Amino acid sequence: MKNVMGLVFANIYDSSLGQLTNKRTQASLPYGGRYRQIDFTLSNMSNAGIRHIDIVTQYNFQSLMNHIGSGEDWDLQLDDGGLEFITPYSVGQSNTFRGKLEAIAAISDAYLSRGKEEYIILADAAVICAINLDEVMDAHIASGKDVTVVVKAGIANGKKQLDLAVRMDDGGEIADMAVDYAAPDNYLASMGMFIMRKDLLMRSAAECVSRNRYRFEREFILREWDEGQLSVNAYEFHNVALFNESTEEYFRNNLAIIDRNVRHSLYRDGLTIYTKVRDQVPCYYGENSEIDDCIVADGCVLLGSAFNSVFFRSVKLSTGASVRNCVVMSKCEIGIGAQLEYCILDKDVKINAGVKLIGTMEHPVILNRGDVV
Amino acid sequence: MNFQKKRCVAMLLAGGQGSRLLVLTENTAKPAVPFGGKYRIIDFPLSNCVNSGIDTVGILTQYQPLELNEYIGNGQPWGLNRSHGGVQVLPPYARSKKSEWYKGTANAIYQNMAFIERYDPDNVLVLSGDHIYRMDYAKMIRYHEEHDSDVTIAVRQVPIEEASRFGIMNTNPDGSIYEFEEKPKQPKSNNASMGIYVFKWSILKKFLMDDEDDPNSDNDFGKNVIPAILHSGHKLFAYDFEGYWKDVGTISSLWEANMDLLGTDPEFNLYGDGTAPIFARNYALPASYIDAGSKNVNCLISEGCEIYGLVRHSVVSTGCRMGKDAVVEDSVIMPNTVIEEGVIIRNAIIGEGCTIRRGAVIGGAFHEGEKRQIAVIGKDHVIEVNQVVKPGEVI
Repeated sequence: MKNVMGLVFANIYDSSLGQLTNKRTQASLPYGGRYRQIDFTLSNMSNAGIRHIDIVTQYNFQSLMNHIGSGEDWDLQLDDGGLEFITPYSVGQSNTFRGKLEAIAAISDAYLSRGKEEYIILADAAVICAINLDEVMDAHIASGKDVTVVVKAGIANGKKQLDLAVRMDDGGEIADMAVDYAAPDNYLASMGMFIMRKDLLMRSAAECVSRNRYRFEREFILREWDEGQLSVNAYEFHNVALFNESTEEYFRNNLAIIDRNVRHSLYRDGLTIYTKVRDQVPCYYGENSEIDDCIVADGCVLLGSAFNSVFFRSVKLSTGASVRNCVVMSKCEIGIGAQLEYCILDKDVKINAGVKLIGTMEHPVILNRGDVV
Repeated sequence: MNFQKKRCVAMLLAGGQGSRLLVLTENTAKPAVPFGGKYRIIDFPLSNCVNSGIDTVGILTQYQPLELNEYIGNGQPWGLNRSHGGVQVLPPYARSKKSEWYKGTANAIYQNMAFIERYDPDNVLVLSGDHIYRMDYAKMIRYHEEHDSDVTIAVRQVPIEEASRFGIMNTNPDGSIYEFEEKPKQPKSNNASMGIYVFKWSILKKFLMDDEDDPNSDNDFGKNVIPAILHSGHKLFAYDFEGYWKDVGTISSLWEANMDLLGTDPEFNLYGDGTAPIFARNYALPASYIDAGSKNVNCLISEGCEIYGLVRHSVVSTGCRMGKDAVVEDSVIMPNTVIEEGVIIRNAIIGEGCTIRRGAVIGGAFHEGEKRQIAVIGKDHVIEVNQVVKPGEVI
């Protein structure tokens, strides 16, 4: 899809992810043992042949830039204009943005209008999925509508606040649309992915911002659809989509990948998820290790026992240590006889021998990067 | 084009047929044979070069080079995608006057003298592509320069009863070599050549040309070039290497070298002290899944696997699947192999991309005092439901 460019917002839900995003963007949150969340967004775009992606980031972007590097691991390269980072102060008006519309308006001239692509796909890194964007694009063209929003059933539950929710009629048309809404379960949740013509987006963003409207979903999509100025098509995605918009969801969705169906939906033939490759040795399982129902990355040395947990790279699990229902990020060390249940260990956490930490599914114990317990 | 001078250029001999690895090298050059769960044999000398600060490496290929060429690519995984130097695959090629296959190890370098000449190096490091070890070549080159040596040969001490299997360097107390014996019946010392040579380029060039003019020569380093340099009165030194080194040229040594990676304090530690990593071409694979019904002890399992069975004292490579109630013991499973439910594999090497169907039994138990029989399945083979592959059988 040479005719489409990607625009990724890296910081959308930072504030609802608490200490996990203290020093990183939501996009660079580790996921699934060896990925960062943005890997899914970038891989989906790269797999659809998109070769021009701009990443808008506002703060804490050092780890993200370090992860993505030149983009070559996703077949996107900085030097041929394939991948561009848009950081605050990249262009005149672009300090920090109040909303996506402001960001788009600020970068239209310097970035968006430069490429020859006619269409643009907007996405963030909050929803983990493997999606065929070629099919979404085809559906968008076939619909004849101005905008296509990708939606997912089964997320709305009357409690979860959705950025954008739609209810469909029997003919597949959007019957109702609402923003920041704890929608009932007959609504579908927006996955934060939108396809439209690039010129329409740039023109609309400029119009909105000049009237102090900066919230993309509320003050552009919903409002103009309501007023009959914008036609919107909803594309329903049927495979697994995991919404990581809060710490609790992040924890649950990290463990979800242990489930075979979830795993096989995220890792599908033809939709490879790319990430920064590192040279780590294969995982070593010790003589008395007991590892059950776990995801394990390279570089780990597992001598203790573990159940229903995710181990990122180069974790050391000592003899007699027990880890149950935990997410253990890279380079953590868990001492002899330590017991952990329902914990998120950020990178480089060291748990000394004999330490016992027990959280719950709803309220996992979260340890910050580099903590020593 | 004006090339900046390099202190040392490495030439990696990767052209051997590796026929003693049987089916594993049927369509694969020996250096491209998978090793240690996610590596290929060539990763070890290549990574040693990079970790020793050598950024110009010629890889001499001849036999089944396709896979190896693809694996090396532009050298990016090893940091060898340089605009000046970097890694270059050097197959035999047609010249205006004549074209010929590499006749021997020395001839392979001879045919690529122009490649070396471009960098005008002081020294040329000649390496084999079929050894597993971690070595700082920079130390050896420093030793070579300090002794103003013409040729320096890395040696390691082997048990004297095994010395007759190796090329033995007999040395004076100062480390200089006075005699070289290829596989001596009555070895005088136990300094075995590791097939790692540092030459002064000026000396090597002269002797390669002389060797080429000698119609009776086999154009081999060990057999012809080294003895010729020695007999003409040049300075040859032996460089002692201590540490793990293994020639993985046979099925049993390849199996042993894989097993040497296991344990909390393994014979050969892939990670080492962390300062000299072994680089490999990495693929985008998810972290592995280990099922509750599985049991994995004293083993290496690489990324991209789904393991439902039991793995004991084995190496399982990237992208393998293993079904419920399957057992893998004392074995090496190469990348992307599928082992279905109830399969039993013992004392075996299973090649890349194989499918072992339900209930098949490959190899067998090893009894103390007997010679270990390693069953071998070649690349991309399918073993049918309930098929039995006997211990030591090769398919």
